[in-house]
Amino acid sequence: MDLHNLNPSSLKSRFTTRFLRALTEINARKPIASSSSPREIFQRYRRIKDAADTSMAYSVRSRRTWSKATLWRLRTPSHRRRLASFGRRSSLNKTRTTTTASHRGAVVVQITSRGGGLGVQLEELRELVPGGEAMDLCNLLDETAHYIKCLTTQVQVMRTIANLYSLE
Amino acid sequence: MDNQFFLDAGIPPLHFGSSLSSSLSPVMEIQSQDCFPTDYGLQYESALSSMVSSPASSNGNNMSSESLMMRELIGKLGSVGNSGEILHHSQPMLAAASSSCYSTPLNSPPKLNLPVPKSMGLKSGVADFSADPGFAERAAKFSCFGSRSFNGRRTQFGPKDNGEIAACRFNPPPVNVKLPRVSSSPAMKTLAANCREESTVSEQNPDPGFKGSNSRKRKAVPKAKTNETSPSPSPNSSKVTKLNEASNEKRCKLSKTNGNENGSGKAEEEDANGSNTKAPEPPKDYIHVRARRGQATDSHSLAERVRREKISERMKLLQNLVPGCNKVTGKALMLDEIINYVQSLQRQVEFLSMKLASVNTSLDFNVESLVSKDASISFKHFAESNIPNSAISPKLNTHLPQTQINRFIKTVPQYPSFCEGDLETLVQMGFGHNQSQEMALHSQNFQGSNQVSDMKVEL
Repeated sequence: MDLHNLNPSSLKSRFTTRFLRALTEINARKPIASSSSPREIFQRYRRIKDAADTSMAYSVRSRRTWSKATLWRLRTPSHRRRLASFGRRSSLNKTRTTTTASHRGAVVVQITSRGGGLGVQLEELRELVPGGEAMDLCNLLDETAHYIKCLTTQVQVMRTIANLYSLE
Repeated sequence: MDNQFFLDAGIPPLHFGSSLSSSLSPVMEIQSQDCFPTDYGLQYESALSSMVSSPASSNGNNMSSESLMMRELIGKLGSVGNSGEILHHSQPMLAAASSSCYSTPLNSPPKLNLPVPKSMGLKSGVADFSADPGFAERAAKFSCFGSRSFNGRRTQFGPKDNGEIAACRFNPPPVNVKLPRVSSSPAMKTLAANCREESTVSEQNPDPGFKGSNSRKRKAVPKAKTNETSPSPSPNSSKVTKLNEASNEKRCKLSKTNGNENGSGKAEEEDANGSNTKAPEPPKDYIHVRARRGQATDSHSLAERVRREKISERMKLLQNLVPGCNKVTGKALMLDEIINYVQSLQRQVEFLSMKLASVNTSLDFNVESLVSKDASISFKHFAESNIPNSAISPKLNTHLPQTQINRFIKTVPQYPSFCEGDLETLVQMGFGHNQSQEMALHSQNFQGSNQVSDMKVEL
């Protein structure tokens, strides 16, 4: 990553600054002790991952559906999220011909054959891209493109930081 | 610099009336105070620009008697303009001056209510300029210089805009009368460009905008009309509007790839568009899509076609993003590839965050310095400080040495070379078995997505 030509308002730099701040904050809260168990490491890993996703979503500033969904997901506690997602998935009936059945928070969406054989993959893509449940194919592909771009940026930055940490 | 322009422009003497001599002394008085010479220069320029706009003021005064006083005044203003700095409180004065001056253009003594009463007397004769045609041109040239210094000063004085805008607002209406002659001068153009006013600039601006919207929206050709209007009843018009608009956008891009007969048709349309800008038609409420040869023309299939084109266009964009997708054809396979790529990216993020969690030492990150230009220096500094820290702190707390992780990182450069079998063997080399089991156990307890369980396997 070439740091000398960093455009101060690019996605990469915005994400980098936010993520580094979050990292220092996490470090400050619970510094690594020599006796941290794997459980603690796992907790720390979750926190770092959430921080990375949040900082990336913040850098995009909820101009995109996936960033809004990510921020919402990381802020709302899970029980409220389940109730809301039930309502959201049943609204899919308007956008395409689907049937929704829900039991205990697991929503099953069946797609009729009008999808033209793309049904399974579309469904997977919707699951992968945050906020992709209630979008038609056209917008979903748009979101996916932007999401891929942001993910690659995120991976680049995190990799560089990790390399920096592990420099010997 | 300004006084050069003042003197070299060869401006015909202005008729300032008898108050000129009296106005000179207050100018000098004020000069001795702090009050503000370059403002006077500005006012002078704005006055002269109003000269351009009111060449028709019909006082054919004899200037020769005042020419001497005029040149004196110019000299005074020029010298005064040299010495000044910017003074803030003079700005509303200027605004008031220019606005009041311009609001009464053709009254012979304009009523000026100014905070500095007497010195503004010099403006009283501004409106009485002769309608010398050559004078107007010279004045235009002069205001060209003036406007340039206007520009310069505009940057200096932040809120000078009211003065300028007042000037510009006044300029267009009479200028339109003399538009063919005056517009040739650069002054008008710079003034118009600066002021961003509608009347002079708007004549030019809506045309390109209009043209653009024309080419985008109005591919209306009588032939297409007869094709489309009959099958598409009005309830569908709104729906067809959006789709057709989008399809027309695409047709602008894809116009080269259309069929031959369509190419000639579109050439006609574009010629019609070119002529349309001169004779603006009322905007139509729905957009006509040209049906290609041998395709259905009802509204449903048109909408379908538009939708399909959109989707295929997005798929092409995605193809560029996802590496190694050029050979894949077909939507299903493309979607498979895309899904795999997104999954792998998400897994990489998780892996990297796990690595950061384990490797993280308590370094103080100076965030700004990292992102600054001399980041390499700070990186080196951090690297140096990192070495003793990592020597002391446990590497992974699970006996996985850093070198293993680095090797791991190097084996995962990109998505295509992500071979899971190799990773497992590599990682198990480094891990003590009991530790890996503990990790697996703990990660099972936490509710995570699929990828986390994958992470468990990989680690």
